[in-house]
Amino acid sequence: MKVFFAILAARLTAFLAKIRGGKSSSVPGAVALKICPDLVRRLSAQVRKGIVCVCGTNGKTTTNNLLCSALEGAGNKVICNKLGANMLNGVATAFALSASLGGKIDADYASIEVDEASTVKVFEFMKPNAMVITNLFRDQLDRYGEIDITVDLLTKAINMAGDVTLVLNADDPLCAAFGYKNNKQTLYYGISQKVLPQTDDTKEGRFCPICGGKQWYNYYHYSQLGDYECTKCDFKRPPVQVEATAVSLNASDITFKLNGSDMVLHYKGFYNIYNMIAVYAALTALGVSTENFSELLKSYKPQIGRMEEIVLDGKPVILNLAKNPAGFNQAIGTVLTDPRKKDVIIAINDNANDGRDVSWLWDVDFEKIWSDSLNTLTCTGIRLYDISLRFKYSDVKVDSTTADMKAAIEKTLKTDTEVVYILVNYSAMYTTEDIMLELKKKYGGKA
Amino acid sequence: MPYSINILHMFPDLLNLYGDKGNIECMRKRLQWRGIEAKLIKCTYDEPFLDFDKVDIIFLGGGSDREQKIVCSKLLEYRKQLKDYVEKGGVLVAVCGGYQLLGKYYALPDEKIEGLSILDIYTEHGSPRLIGNIVLQNEDISQSIVGFENHGGRTFIGSHTPLGKVVKGFGNTGQSGAEGVCYKNVVATYLHGPLLPKNPQLCDMILEKALTQKYPDFAGLEALDDTMENTANTYMQDIILKK
Repeated sequence: MKVFFAILAARLTAFLAKIRGGKSSSVPGAVALKICPDLVRRLSAQVRKGIVCVCGTNGKTTTNNLLCSALEGAGNKVICNKLGANMLNGVATAFALSASLGGKIDADYASIEVDEASTVKVFEFMKPNAMVITNLFRDQLDRYGEIDITVDLLTKAINMAGDVTLVLNADDPLCAAFGYKNNKQTLYYGISQKVLPQTDDTKEGRFCPICGGKQWYNYYHYSQLGDYECTKCDFKRPPVQVEATAVSLNASDITFKLNGSDMVLHYKGFYNIYNMIAVYAALTALGVSTENFSELLKSYKPQIGRMEEIVLDGKPVILNLAKNPAGFNQAIGTVLTDPRKKDVIIAINDNANDGRDVSWLWDVDFEKIWSDSLNTLTCTGIRLYDISLRFKYSDVKVDSTTADMKAAIEKTLKTDTEVVYILVNYSAMYTTEDIMLELKKKYGGKA
Repeated sequence: MPYSINILHMFPDLLNLYGDKGNIECMRKRLQWRGIEAKLIKCTYDEPFLDFDKVDIIFLGGGSDREQKIVCSKLLEYRKQLKDYVEKGGVLVAVCGGYQLLGKYYALPDEKIEGLSILDIYTEHGSPRLIGNIVLQNEDISQSIVGFENHGGRTFIGSHTPLGKVVKGFGNTGQSGAEGVCYKNVVATYLHGPLLPKNPQLCDMILEKALTQKYPDFAGLEALDDTMENTANTYMQDIILKK
C-alpha cells in the first residue's frame, strides 16, 4: 500500500507541477520518498538488464541522455532522469513516474545521472552495474566543501556499489585514481593525442592523487586533463580501452576516430568528445552493441543550453551553459574558434543551484574572450558587478552592465554582427531560453 | 622617484583555491593605474626562494586540506625568514588556509598540523563548515568589507586585533563576532577569492602600508575612479544585509 500511495502522490505532484508550468523534476520524488523511503530500492531492483550511474562534474546530463538514446536505439526500455534532477529526490522521480500504481516497472535498463555529493545516499537504495565518472573539476565549492571531499564521497560510494564496473576518464588523474585505488573491473576511455594549444588555465590536481608527488604532463587537453605521469610513484595515465584519435575541430563539426572508426559530431566543443566516448565505453561495459554508434552521433541533438542555437530576427543567437572554470574556459575557447563578428553576453547568478560563491570567476580566463571579432560585451545576472569587475581588472572593456537580459539580447539584434553568444551559469539558463523563445515570437526566426 | 612594489605569491601552484588571482590582480592593477610599478614574483614548490629582502607584499592563499598539508612542511622551511619579514613590518596578506597556517597549529580530528607561529592564534576543526556571504566593519576604513567565507576551522585569535567586526556572517569562530587578524602589517582573513576587487578601500589600505614601509616619505595614494567597485560593494551589502 505504501508503494501505491507513494507513486500516486508522485504522479499527482508531477501533474500539478505541469499545469502550473513548473519545471521541477525533484519534487514528485521528494513527496514519494516521504511516504515510502525505500521506494528507489523496491523499484530499481526490478530493472532487468542493468543500471548505469553517470557522475562527474561536467558532462553528466549530455552523457547520460545520449546513453539513454543509445540503449533505447538498441530496442531497450530505459528509465532515465533526463532533466538532470540528480539528487536522491530526482532519482526517485524518474523511477516513481515510470512505475505502475501497483509498484511494477517495466525496464531493461536504468541510466541515472547522480550528483557526486549524492552518490552515497543514492547507492544506499540503488546498486549500479556500471558507474561512469566523467571528470572532477572545482564546482560550487560552497556545496561540496572542497574537491577532496567529493573524492572521499565517491570512494565511499564505489565501495558501497559492490560488484560494479567503473568507466573512467583516463585523461583525468582524479578519475583514473579511482581505478588505481579500487580493485574493481575498470574500463578507461580517453583522447590519446595532443589536440588543443597548450594554455595555462587553472589546473586542478597538479599533484598526484595517490602519493602527492608532482605530476608531469606530456600534454594537456584542458584543466588537469591530459597525458600525465607522477614523478614519484607509478601512477600515470592508464592504457585506454576506448580511445579517440585523429581529432579534428572544424568550423561546424568535429571529426575523430573512435577505436579506429570514423565519427562525426555536428556540434561544437572539444569536451563533447569526452561525453560521446564515455557513452561508448558505458555501452561496452554493459555488453551492449556499439555497431550503430556513428549513426547515433549524427542524429543526436544537444540539450537545452548546450551551444543551443536559436535564430532571432535573422541572427543566430547561441546559448551555452557553463557552471565552473573548466566549463567556461571550454565555452570561451569554442566562441574563439568562431571567426564571425559577434556580440557576447555573460550572465552569472549565485542561486543555491549555481553555488553561492562566485570566486571561481577568477579561475576562468575571461580575458581571452577579447578578440578582433568581438563587437560588444555585456554583463548581466545577479552577480553582474562581480563579472564586470572581473573584466575591468583584466583590461577588457565591458560595453554594458545591466540586470535586463531581454534588453541586452534585443540590443545585440540591432548591431551589425553575424552571431551572438550568450554564456550563462545554471539558473540563468532556463530564464534566458524563455526570453529567447519569447523574442523569437516577437521578431521571428529567419530573416 | 618612480615607485615600485614587488608582490610575492607564495606557492601559487598549491595554495590557489578559488580565485586568489583576483586579489593579486587587484593589487597589481591598482598600483599600475597610479603609475606605480608592480612586479609579481612567485615562490613555487620546486624552487627555493631566498630574496625576502626584495619583497614588499607577500600573498599566501588557501588550498584544499590535501594541498595545505603538502605546503605546510614546505612553508616551515621559510619560518624564520617570514617571521623576520613580519616583525620588520613587511606586508603580508593571508587568506583562508594561509591565515590558519600563520598560527600555532590547526587541530584536525585525527592530526595536528603545525603552523608558522607568526601569530599567537590557533585553529581547531569544527562542524559544520561556516559558509556564506559576510559583511565586516574595519575600524580604519569607512567602507564595509564584503566577501565570502568557507571554512571548517575555528580560529581563536586571543588578544590580537581582528580585521573587522562581523556585521553579518560567521567570522573566526562563528561566535566571537570577530573576523580575521590585523597584526603589524599582516592582514589575515577567511574571506577568500576575489576579496579585494569589491573592497577597494581595503586593497588601498594594504597598498599604502607597503608603500609607506618601503618609502617612508610616501605621500599617499591618488584616488581612482572606483564607481564600479563601490557599486559592487554596496550592491552586495544590500543583498547580504537584507537576508
